[in-house]
Amino acid sequence: MRRPSPTAVRWMILLAVLAVWEILPRGGFIAELLLPPLSKTLMALFHERAQYAMAMVVTLYEVGFAMLIACGGGIIVGALIGGLALLRKLLLPVFSSLYAVPIVILYPIFTAWFGIGSESKILFAGVYGFFPVMLSTAAGIRTIEEQLLVAARSMGATVPQQITRVIIPAAIPTVLTGLRLGGALTIIGVVVSEMLTSAAGIGYLVTSYRTVLDSPHVFAAVLMILVFSVLFDAFARFVERKTLIWQTAGRRERTTARPDTRIASAAAPA
Amino acid sequence: MQHVARVSIVREETAAPAIEVAGVSHVYAGREGAVPALDDISLSVGAGRFTVIVGPSGCGKTSLLMMMAGLRHQSSGIINIAGQPITDPDPRRVGVVFQEASLYPWLTALDNIEFPLALRHAPREERRRRAEEMLTLVGLQGFGSRYPHELSGGMKQRVSIARGLVQDPPVLLMDEPFAALDEQTRMTMGHELLRIWEKTNKTVVFVTHSLTEAVYLADEVLVMSARPGKIIDRIPITLARPRTYEMMATDVFGRLRDRIWQQIRTG
Repeated sequence: MRRPSPTAVRWMILLAVLAVWEILPRGGFIAELLLPPLSKTLMALFHERAQYAMAMVVTLYEVGFAMLIACGGGIIVGALIGGLALLRKLLLPVFSSLYAVPIVILYPIFTAWFGIGSESKILFAGVYGFFPVMLSTAAGIRTIEEQLLVAARSMGATVPQQITRVIIPAAIPTVLTGLRLGGALTIIGVVVSEMLTSAAGIGYLVTSYRTVLDSPHVFAAVLMILVFSVLFDAFARFVERKTLIWQTAGRRERTTARPDTRIASAAAPA
Repeated sequence: MQHVARVSIVREETAAPAIEVAGVSHVYAGREGAVPALDDISLSVGAGRFTVIVGPSGCGKTSLLMMMAGLRHQSSGIINIAGQPITDPDPRRVGVVFQEASLYPWLTALDNIEFPLALRHAPREERRRRAEEMLTLVGLQGFGSRYPHELSGGMKQRVSIARGLVQDPPVLLMDEPFAALDEQTRMTMGHELLRIWEKTNKTVVFVTHSLTEAVYLADEVLVMSARPGKIIDRIPITLARPRTYEMMATDVFGRLRDRIWQQIRTG
């Protein structure tokens, strides 16, 4: 028998998980309160589709603005810290330590300051996602190969030209990785804060249905968040791949032997 | 020994030197006070000549080259390129080729070659035309749309040379351009460089660690001493042009290489 491709195997595993999700509670192996069957979950989602859609809109709106804060602020601050030695010495250790703090403990303070509406979620999730974006932007700018800048200077590049034509394109790969991580953290931040204290959003639905022990509706909300996160990650990876063709290839080259033999065409010069 | 018979045929020096280095010294601030790096260096390179600088590691030969490129500033002394002092990089007077990894990985070979022209906003058609010409000159026709990671080490250095020449500067400075290449590619590239040099009539200053490469390429080899760097010998290479691989096996070639080695060891 031919060996199936990794993609096929992945889809088969997913299908298996979904099948188990349906069979275990139906067969009475797990109480439906703990795990409602997939079909019941989907039915719950379908019956309350207006409510779930509204909640999703709120969540998306919060995620959108939080990402603006995380990505915009992260890139600007990261560029400053990565580019200016003085700022870097002063702030980088502070920010690196802050990144390790479980910022969720600050959420009650955010609600006290900004209320339990969307503002507190947006700000909290924005701060949550800010750190990876900022740190990777700073790293991306700091780790640019000096030689690339020296070469640009030798060709008469002015400082603004060095920034736009060398530093920014060279930093893009690292920044994109930061954006993917930061984006994921932003989604987590919004959902967690909705679950803690709020009156709207998909995270709120999880909490409110859980308090009334309505498992199918809880799982329906969980399913939506799962799908949303996976879609975001797939999208971010897609953008990364499109932009980074040269970068990933460059990495591969450095770890393998000399590439001279790779171009097999006999006409190729040395 | 047919090559040895032609030994006396050398290029005539033209009148105006393309590069003049007068009394250049350099001192940098180290952890334990001032460190003298270059000590009163004077030299002059005639237009169209191929000069190779050799010397032990850390002797300041790369620093000297970077000063000629206007990329670093000497503590004292003057460097004139094409009759004018050089204080900042001027790609119209000086092209620079670095050791490696100085091509932009996000640009194709052609875009890399065009880079200096794009910096001064040259019209698109002119840029493309010049870059194509340079690509042909360095023997890479048909490889213009490849990215650096799709090129071999030797091909990347061909692109670097094309980029250094794209603004048609009279002087080309090369900082160990073939040091990262394997022996075979290195020999081929040396030969190719001579072909390009003879075609374009550039004044070349070439820094290297390889004595064979120095003798094979140069009109004149300048030997520098360990820090503080001084020029301790100037060795005219009287081998005929065009150079051939067979010359490397001759006695003259061996004696020249030995003389350089002696100087580096004892200097």
